[in-house]
Order: sequence, then structure tokens, then C-alpha cells
Amino acid sequence: MLNKVLVANRGEIAVRILRACRELGIETVAVFSEVDRQALHVRYADEAYYLGPAPSRDSYLRGDKIIEIAKKSGAWAIHPGYGFLAERADFAQACLDEGLVFIGPRPSAIAAMGDKAQARATVSAAGVPVVPGTEGEGSLCDDDLLAIAPMIGFPLLIKATAGGGGKGMREVNNLDEMPGLLQAARREAEASFGDGCVYLEKLVLGARHIEFQILADNEGHVIHLGERECSLQRRHQKLLEECPSPFIADDEALRQHMGQVAVRAAQSVGYVNAGTIEFLVDKDKNYFFLEMNTRLQVEHPVTEMVTGVDIVKEQIRIARGRSLRYAQEDIRWNGWAIECRINAEDPYNDFLPSTGRITHSQLPTGPGVRVDSGIYHGFEISPYYDSLISKLVVWGESRAEAILRMRRSLEEYKIIGVRSNIPFHQRLMDSVRFMGGQFDTRFVEERFSMGGSEVVKQAPPEIAAIMATLVADHQARQAATIVRPNERDTSNWKWLGRWERLQR
Amino acid sequence: MKYITTINEQEYEVEILDEKHVTVNGRCFAVDFHSLSDQPVYSLLIDGKSYEAYVYPADEFWQVLLVGRQFQATVEDERERRLKMQAGSNVAERAEFLMKAPMPGLVVSVPVQEGQAVEKGDILIVLESMKMQNELKSPRPGSVSRLRVKPGDSVELRQIMLSVS
Repeated sequence: MLNKVLVANRGEIAVRILRACRELGIETVAVFSEVDRQALHVRYADEAYYLGPAPSRDSYLRGDKIIEIAKKSGAWAIHPGYGFLAERADFAQACLDEGLVFIGPRPSAIAAMGDKAQARATVSAAGVPVVPGTEGEGSLCDDDLLAIAPMIGFPLLIKATAGGGGKGMREVNNLDEMPGLLQAARREAEASFGDGCVYLEKLVLGARHIEFQILADNEGHVIHLGERECSLQRRHQKLLEECPSPFIADDEALRQHMGQVAVRAAQSVGYVNAGTIEFLVDKDKNYFFLEMNTRLQVEHPVTEMVTGVDIVKEQIRIARGRSLRYAQEDIRWNGWAIECRINAEDPYNDFLPSTGRITHSQLPTGPGVRVDSGIYHGFEISPYYDSLISKLVVWGESRAEAILRMRRSLEEYKIIGVRSNIPFHQRLMDSVRFMGGQFDTRFVEERFSMGGSEVVKQAPPEIAAIMATLVADHQARQAATIVRPNERDTSNWKWLGRWERLQR
Repeated sequence: MKYITTINEQEYEVEILDEKHVTVNGRCFAVDFHSLSDQPVYSLLIDGKSYEAYVYPADEFWQVLLVGRQFQATVEDERERRLKMQAGSNVAERAEFLMKAPMPGLVVSVPVQEGQAVEKGDILIVLESMKMQNELKSPRPGSVSRLRVKPGDSVELRQIMLSVS
């Protein structure tokens, strides 16, 4: 019975997991909500079952129904993908209780890493550096926090203990503004997570967000697959990732050192399967543990392109109880990979989500290009789920080649029907600072604009003027023929004669 | 047909001579222009150079997406141009702004009230879609009228939510 996997997700990641299963000769079960009947993951799976109405809480978050379907269809394991149920310890536990394999870590590891304060305390005890803060103190009242703040030093961050996605987070620059910000953060944390607990953390200036992919089997072997650069973000959402990081680049000693620390952090919670340790790295290359993601990451393909390791297949092998096929010294990094997240968002309109039917789509192809996509021509992008519709990944021998390849791939990629952030990525590829690898986590929000002049290439406005005019002219002519429907090429009398002959 | 096309306040006099020829500010170009598979993607060969662009109609102008850059082009023929000159240029200023839902979603909050005076850039409605909360701002100063939604309402694409006049 170890030959059928249920994929408890949708979109590009469900398709990605189905592909790994196919290649391993494993049968697949998809689940879908009301609006996803025609989605790619339903079309690609061997079996597919209806979950419920479109909103996530009625469909992809219905752990009970998903387990029921898994048992009914005879699946031995559930792969949660990312998001939805991927980091829910209670769901992982429920799978085990029902005799199903959860393709991911043990529930205890998910829980230990899910509570941010506990995670920081745990890895800190294992000798992993964390950003200076109050995580070890338990939950403190405002007076205590105000007393400790000057010792940590400003600027600092107020963060929600149960937090994520920037909710319940506030930046504090001095003691005077802190009481008000504390209140606001607690209120937001309470509303978002049902838990108003907060802690303080030093704000690392000019920080980069660099994470390490790790793999761990049931026998205690833990290896790392190197780092990913994830500093290009907007509103704490990653937009572009690279492997390796241009900041670490050929500093092999730093890579191995951080990799070993990541391995130690994973071991501190008895981690099994694939996971990611996120670090903040300051400009002097001091690094601090940020958090651990106990699941497959959106950006895993850049690591796959550079190491040649298929992370999803490894996840499934580990879940089957096999030992790792690689030792640390087997892992080699070859060339450079970049991933652009293609979101249904309009970069010219404050990244507003865009919904609608894909009326046309043309994928980039050719050497070194990989597209993980959940859409196709005719598919309807609904407002219920994440705006990520596909991931464009390229590989090059060097970072420069990868950038040039990404630039041409973005030019080839056509998505019509909804607006996408492809133009944003195109501008980013032309940015001198991006090319130079000089960016931190605030780059997109503070130093980048869609209209900025910091680009090397200028599109000719005359050409735009000619094209707009030709289209307008064409439309005006068409409108003119519609407005005068009675105008025929022959006289009405002749036309009437023909009509009468037809009626005989 | 002669058109005045404006991009970034720069005017281009574009005359379409026939199917294969246009002049731009008096200079003649050989063009070969195609719509690709009836989509708003267009291919232009101009004096041998090949360009591809998306051209979308917007309310008052055309959006042209060319080599990763977006241009807003207004295209007027000579007659429209003369009429507009006579009518004066403040037509757009007087018209009221109708805020339509840019996407289907859920109204999270409405931080303004009927009749309230607002400045350009003030937040009128917070709309949730695709797990993101989006602040919809006023494009002009004025006062809020015809407020038709309240927090908790679901709205359809292009549904009118309020107006600023």
C-alpha cells in the first residue's frame, strides 16, 4: 500500500508534488474546492475528490475531510505542500493517529518551531546565534518590556510570539513611541492569532535574509543543501530568490559554517524530512537565526537547479523510511539559479491582486529554463487563494548568465487575461543595484520603483506611441463598421431582390 | 488619418498613410503590424526592427507594455482634438470619480463616511482579496457620496462602491 500519495494542496505546488510522485511511480490523489474542479492538479492526478466550497477554511483547511479521503482512497501518505495545513502540528498528529504518514517532520518538531519564542530559546540553547531579544524571558508585561528595551538598544522590533507574515510587528525607534506601538502590536496579534503575547528583538539594519535548506532522515543523518538568497521582498512576501547568495558567493568557509549551524538547529528539535533555517545576515556577515520553516519552501527549485537534488522526491523517500542517499560531501553546487515569483498582481497599481480568466498564455522555454505553473489558457484566477500563479526559474553557469537568461525568459513569458508582476521582474533585472548584488530586505520597498530611472535600458516611447495609435485606429475603424450596420456594398433594391430569390 | 498621440506630455503626430506606412512627426516608416492570435499582444516590424507589446484600453488612454515598461498613451484624431480645445481642458476635473472594485473581494473597512471631505491619496476602502488587504485610495480631492458598501460586504469585479465628487 506504500504506493499512493494524497496531495493536500492546490496550484503550482500541488502540480510540483504530483510530478515527483509520477516520476517515482507513485499513484496520486488530488483534492479540490468548488472553484478548482478544472485546476491543473485535478487534471494531472490519478484520482481527485471534492472537498467543499471555495474559501480555504471550507476546503483546503478541512483536515478531517482530507484524512477521510486519504483513507477512503487507500493513500498511505499525505503531502501538505506549503501553506494551508503544512505547519499545523495538530493535523500532522491527526494523520499519525489515523495510521497515515505525514510527509514532513514530526508533530513535536512543528510545534517547537511554530512558537517563535520557544524556537529561539531552543536553538539558542543548542549554541545557535539568535538576534538579541527577550525570547527567553517568557511573556512579559509592558513595564518589563519598556525597562528591557534600552538594554537591547534601538531601533528594535516588537514581534508577535505566535506571529508570521508581518502581522503584529512594529518597528520602534525610541522609548517615547514604544508604549503606543506595543498596544497596537498586541491588538493586531490578538486579532490575527488569538494571542496577544509579544517579544522584543533587535532590528538588524541593512539585513539580508538568507536561508539554508536541510534534509534529515529517520536515522539522524542531517545535511544541508546550501543557502538561498531571499532578501528581495515586499511587505514580507518574497518576490525573487537565488542560489547561491551573491553575498556569500565564494566565501565557502561562511557557507559551511552557517550550514553546520543550520544542521545543529534542526537537530535541536529532532528534525526529520526537508526544512529550512532562515537567518538574518548583517553587513559584517554576522548571522542570526530567524526562524525555521518546517515544510517544503516555495523557492526550493533554485536549490534543486544548483545541487541537482530533487527535494520533493527526497521528502517522499525519507517518509518511506529510507536513509538519505547523500552525505554532506556529496553535495556540490554548480552554477547559479534565480527564481521569479509570478503573481497575479498589477505592479503599476500598487501590486493590487488581479483576478479573471487566462485568455492566453505563452511559456518561456529553451536552455536552462524551468516553469512551475498552476495555470493554463482558459483557467480562471479566483480571489480565494494566494496570488502566486507560477514560478519562473532559470539556471546559468554564472550569476551574470542567469540574469541574462531570466531577462530573455521574462520577455518570452506572456500571460493575458490577468495582470502579472512580470514587468516588475523585468525592471528588477535591469536594475544596476540588483546586478551588483547590492540589496537588503528593504530594497524593493525603499529603493525601487516601477517608474524609477535606475535602469540601464530604455524602451523607445515613439514605438509605444505608434503601437497605441495603430490599435486605436484599428478600433475606430471597427467601431465605424458596427455603427453603420445598414450600409451594404450593394443597393437595398438589389439586396431585396436577392433575398426574394432566396425565399422562393 | 492623422492622430496626436501623447506619452508623458510629449506629443507625437502620427499619420497612418496606408496599411504599410506611417509617419511620426513627419518621418516616414515602413510598418508591418499584427495582432497575435486575437489577443491584446501586438507585433510590430518597423523598418525591419521587431517589437512586441501588450496594448490595453483604459478609461481615457491606452496602456502599452513594451520591453518591461508601461506607457500611458492618449490617442486623439484631429477632430477630437479641435473639439476638446474648444470645450476647455477641465472636463475631467468636474466629472465625479466612481470607485469600482478593481477585483472581486471582501470589504474589510470603510474609513470614510457619506459626505466626508477627502484629499487625494486618502484611503476610502480596504478590500481583501487573495489573502491580501488592499487600500483603495482617492485619486482626487472631493467629498464622498453614494456610499454603497459596508464592512463585511462581498463585491464583484467593477461593482461601484462609492463616488467622490
